[in-house]
Amino acid sequence: MHSNRTILAIFKDYEDAAFWSNLLRDVPGVVRVTAGDNPASILESLRQTGMEATLTIISTKLYPLNSQEIIPIVRKNFPATEFLLVSSSQEAAPPLQPLIKDGVRHLVIDPVGPDKGSQMVRAVRKLMEKSPWKMGDYLFSGASVHEFRISSSEQKEELISAIGGLIPGDSEEAEMLREKGALLADEMLENAMYGAPRDESGGKIFQKGEKRAMLPGERIVFRFGFDGETLAMEVADGWGSLSPETVMEHLEPEQEGGEVAGDWGGRGLFILWRFLDQLHISITPGRQTVVGGHIRLTTTEDPLTTPRGFHISTFN
Amino acid sequence: MEKTFRVEHKRGDTLDSFTFHGNIDALAELCLRELPALVGRPAVTIDFSNAGRINSMGIALLLRCLKAIREEKKAEITLDGLNQMTSMLFKMTGVFLLATQAK
Repeated sequence: MHSNRTILAIFKDYEDAAFWSNLLRDVPGVVRVTAGDNPASILESLRQTGMEATLTIISTKLYPLNSQEIIPIVRKNFPATEFLLVSSSQEAAPPLQPLIKDGVRHLVIDPVGPDKGSQMVRAVRKLMEKSPWKMGDYLFSGASVHEFRISSSEQKEELISAIGGLIPGDSEEAEMLREKGALLADEMLENAMYGAPRDESGGKIFQKGEKRAMLPGERIVFRFGFDGETLAMEVADGWGSLSPETVMEHLEPEQEGGEVAGDWGGRGLFILWRFLDQLHISITPGRQTVVGGHIRLTTTEDPLTTPRGFHISTFN
Repeated sequence: MEKTFRVEHKRGDTLDSFTFHGNIDALAELCLRELPALVGRPAVTIDFSNAGRINSMGIALLLRCLKAIREEKKAEITLDGLNQMTSMLFKMTGVFLLATQAK
C-alpha cells in the first residue's frame, strides 16, 4: 500500500529518467514511470493499489510535444494531483498553449545555477507542503529582505531607485541587473496599484499614470533583496483579483505588431516572466495576490528565447 | 537622466528626427499620441539614447504611435540609440515589426 502523499514522476524514456535521477534522489517517495511502459495501464494499476498522487512531475521531453494525452490519463486516475513540468535548461522552452489548455501551472527549468540547489527539488517541497514561495527561498541565508508598505503612487520612483542602490559595481552585468530590476519593480508596482484594484463588477478602479493614494484598508507591500548574486522581489496586494487562467493566457508572446491591448497588465506579466529567471504568482482569491520572482546577476541570455519557469498557485 | 518624458523634433528635407527624453510610461501618452501628426517626411528616426526606463504601458503607447506613423503617414521608421535592455524589450514585444533598428 502506498502513502497517500505519493509523488508520481513520468518520463519519456529511461534516458530521460536517468537525467533527472540525481535530483530526484533527494526527494523521498517518488514513483517513477516511463511513457514507453504503457503509462495508462501502469497508472490505473497504481490507483488500484490505493496510491494517491499528490503531485505529478512530468518531463518536457514527454509533454507536451510527445504526449499531450498524458495529462488527461493522470487526471483520470488522480483527479486531485498537481502537475509540475520539469525541463532541462539545455532544452527549448515548451509551447504554452497545451499547458494553458491542460491547466499546468508549474514549470521549472533545471539545472539553473550552483550553490542554491535544484529548482525542481525546491518546487517539489513547496508543492507538497502547499506553501507559497518566499523571496528568502532564493537568497543566501542572512541576506536582508527590505519591506515597504505603499501609501501613494508617488513612492514608485523612490522604491525603484532603492533597488538600484542595492546592486553595487560598474560591471556590465551589474548595470544590466539594475536596469532589469527597475523595469521589473515598475511592472510589479503598476500591476498592484492600477491592475489589481477592481470594483464590484470587475472593472478597473484606477487608470495607469494617475496619482493615487491607497484606499482605506488597502494594503500593498513591496519586498526586495539582493544577496550579491540573486535579486529577488515581490509585490503583495490585498485584492486577489488576478486569476490563474488570465496569468497563463498573458504568458503567450504578443507579437501582433502594433495591436494595443486594452488590458495593459497582460503585456506587463509577459515582460515579468521573460526577464525573471522564475516567476511566482500566488493568488488567494478576493484577498491577496503576490507577484514576484528572482533574477541572477549572471543571467545574460536572451530573455525572449531562454526557457523560463513559472509557478502560479492558488490558496484558499 | 530626466524622469519626465518629452520629445524633441527636428525636420529635415527628407527626414523627421525625434529624440526621446525620460521614462516612457503612462505619462508619455499625450506626447506619443500627438507625435504622428508632426510627421511630414517619408522617413522618421527616433533617438532613444536619452530615454530612460520603458515599461509595458510605454511599450503599448509606443506601438500605437509607430503604427499610426506607418499607416497614416506611410513613413519608414528607424530607431536609434537603443541600449541592450531596450533592444531586448523591443524584440520581445514586437516593436521591431513596425520599425527598424539603426545599424
